[in-house]
Amino acid sequence: MSRVGDPVARLRTVRIDGAAKQALETGRNRLLVAGVFFFFAFALIGIRLFDVSVMKGLDEPRAGTRTDPITLKTGRADIIDRNGVLLATSLWVPSLYADPQQIIDPQESARMLVKTLPHLTLEELTAKLSAKKRFVWVQRGLTPRQKYEVNKLGIPGLHFQHEERRAYPQGNLTAHIVGFSGTDAVGLAGIEKQFDGLLRDGAEAVVLSIDIRIQHILREEIARQIECFDGVGGAGVVLNVVTGEIIAMVSLPDFDPNLAGDAPADTRFNRATLGVYEMGSTFKIFNTAMALEAGTATLESGYDATKPIHFARHTINDYHAKRRWLSVPEIFKYSSNIGSAKMAVEFGSRTQRRFMEKLGFLDLAPIELPERGRPIAPSRWGRLSTMTIAYGHGIAVSPVHLASGVATVVNGGIRWPVTLLKREPELRIIGEQVLSGLTSEQMRRLLRLAVAHGTGRKASADGYLVGGKTGTAEKPNARGTYARKSLLSSFVAAFPVDDPRYVVLVMVDEPKGNVESYGYATGGWVAAPAVKRIVVRSAPLLGIHPKDEKSPEIRQILDVNIPQAKGQKRLASF
Amino acid sequence: MMRRSVVLWLVLAGCFGVSMFLIKQEVQQRESRLDQLNRELLENQEAIRVLRAEWSYLNRPVRIEALIRRHLELRPTEISQRGVFESLPVRITAVEDQAETGQ
Repeated sequence: MSRVGDPVARLRTVRIDGAAKQALETGRNRLLVAGVFFFFAFALIGIRLFDVSVMKGLDEPRAGTRTDPITLKTGRADIIDRNGVLLATSLWVPSLYADPQQIIDPQESARMLVKTLPHLTLEELTAKLSAKKRFVWVQRGLTPRQKYEVNKLGIPGLHFQHEERRAYPQGNLTAHIVGFSGTDAVGLAGIEKQFDGLLRDGAEAVVLSIDIRIQHILREEIARQIECFDGVGGAGVVLNVVTGEIIAMVSLPDFDPNLAGDAPADTRFNRATLGVYEMGSTFKIFNTAMALEAGTATLESGYDATKPIHFARHTINDYHAKRRWLSVPEIFKYSSNIGSAKMAVEFGSRTQRRFMEKLGFLDLAPIELPERGRPIAPSRWGRLSTMTIAYGHGIAVSPVHLASGVATVVNGGIRWPVTLLKREPELRIIGEQVLSGLTSEQMRRLLRLAVAHGTGRKASADGYLVGGKTGTAEKPNARGTYARKSLLSSFVAAFPVDDPRYVVLVMVDEPKGNVESYGYATGGWVAAPAVKRIVVRSAPLLGIHPKDEKSPEIRQILDVNIPQAKGQKRLASF
Repeated sequence: MMRRSVVLWLVLAGCFGVSMFLIKQEVQQRESRLDQLNRELLENQEAIRVLRAEWSYLNRPVRIEALIRRHLELRPTEISQRGVFESLPVRITAVEDQAETGQ
């Protein structure tokens, strides 16, 4: 075997006979096939393993990555005032229901429940709890305390279901502004209706321009005047002259939005925006401004107010008749209808109409409420209309219109759209120049004159430089004639009038004169004192400092020369 | 040789099994804790909403005013109580200081 060269040995190792060779070949082939098969199988598994663990692994959801904070979902966003006081919010409240089949003793259970929930009556509840049903409502919307009390009773068969309910913590105070929503969380009035979509899908609260403290003062003072003078209602507005924001807006009588369904329709009527009224003498502000702007009158000129005007079977007379020639400041001071009508005739119907349009008195007020009243203006704007509109009859606007118009007159003649939403101070909005700055300045002097020496003396709040105008309109009755006894008394003021910041409007519907007012129910007696108190109480909250009314700087800004009929001039003594 | 590697693999597999069990247990515990915390969070948020509504209700200006009238001596500010810095008389301390340093 060691000899390599041995041919026999060599031949023996190579040469295998046929049958054995065949078997060996078969075995080798099988091994190869099996080997290849297993190789591919493992390769496949390996590739899949690599694919799953390395490639797909990145897409696998990981349990620990959920980081978004859980927040409570409510059906509607909150409404807050300009200082963040909550006016409307959505709460999950428990509602109590019973499964009468589970109640063991309906009589006794009802007796116990009535003690805890005093709104229910014993008979009704007993009947409900003995019914052959599986579900009866006992009471919807329980307070947390009531829920606790009911749980303490330990009656089997009583269950709670949580329902969402809109709550108005401030109650009546902002009823007409915020409005209310129905049981299925749909806004039905006020801001709730106007911004229904926004409130529904927004998590962010709607911020109003209202200041709840000023709102309270306004409401309280108007309510007091309504009570004193036995009025049927009232309205009031406090408006920021510089930004057009409504700081407070009141309509009385009002209602509790938490129980809006039970409120009478009269209380739900918004007199401040939906009601349109002939405002009376407060319109002399616009009439005088128009004349000064048109140049048909100056503070030096005047009109003869000796005799009443007779025109087309109508008579225009003066309430505080002087029966003499009156200068423009005197016409304003004594609120002369005759003088105002003559002033209006001079600049004419077309100028008047155009000016009323520019002030926005012929259109809906641009306020964010669905309850807006369309002003009533004469369809044929003739000479008679022009004369009556001069002293505020023959055109009806809402109190918000009036406040906005006065703001335009005193703030340098620029009309800012009024709003109920808080405006950011840096956000400048575009206003329309309606009057010249000079006319505005002259009007501020006249407004001060009416309060310092004229019909609005009761509005004079020492130090706060109130300037304003009274208005006493006779309300048209059902037959379309004017009733002497049914009045609409108002006062509109700007303060501090040397550099106006706020406009205050107070209006009382159908006041009756009393002993204290010597039987008078005019704007000067009814509304002016309320304006004074509102100014005194709210000025510290609004950041307005009292000034020395007699200082030379103030007198220079606000004094008016009252010209005499014979051409002599006399300085009005302040 | 063969037996040693088998033992090694068995030990490794055992370790992985135990650690897998422990991790899974831990994850389960933490998840239930997370759920519980989220539930508490919602409950607290709901409570905060109720409390905020109640706070606003209790702070109604009408109520605050009535409470102040009953319990406190505070009254609305009179105009005479208010002043501005400009209305204060000129400070004379500066003059006195000068006089003192002059001495």
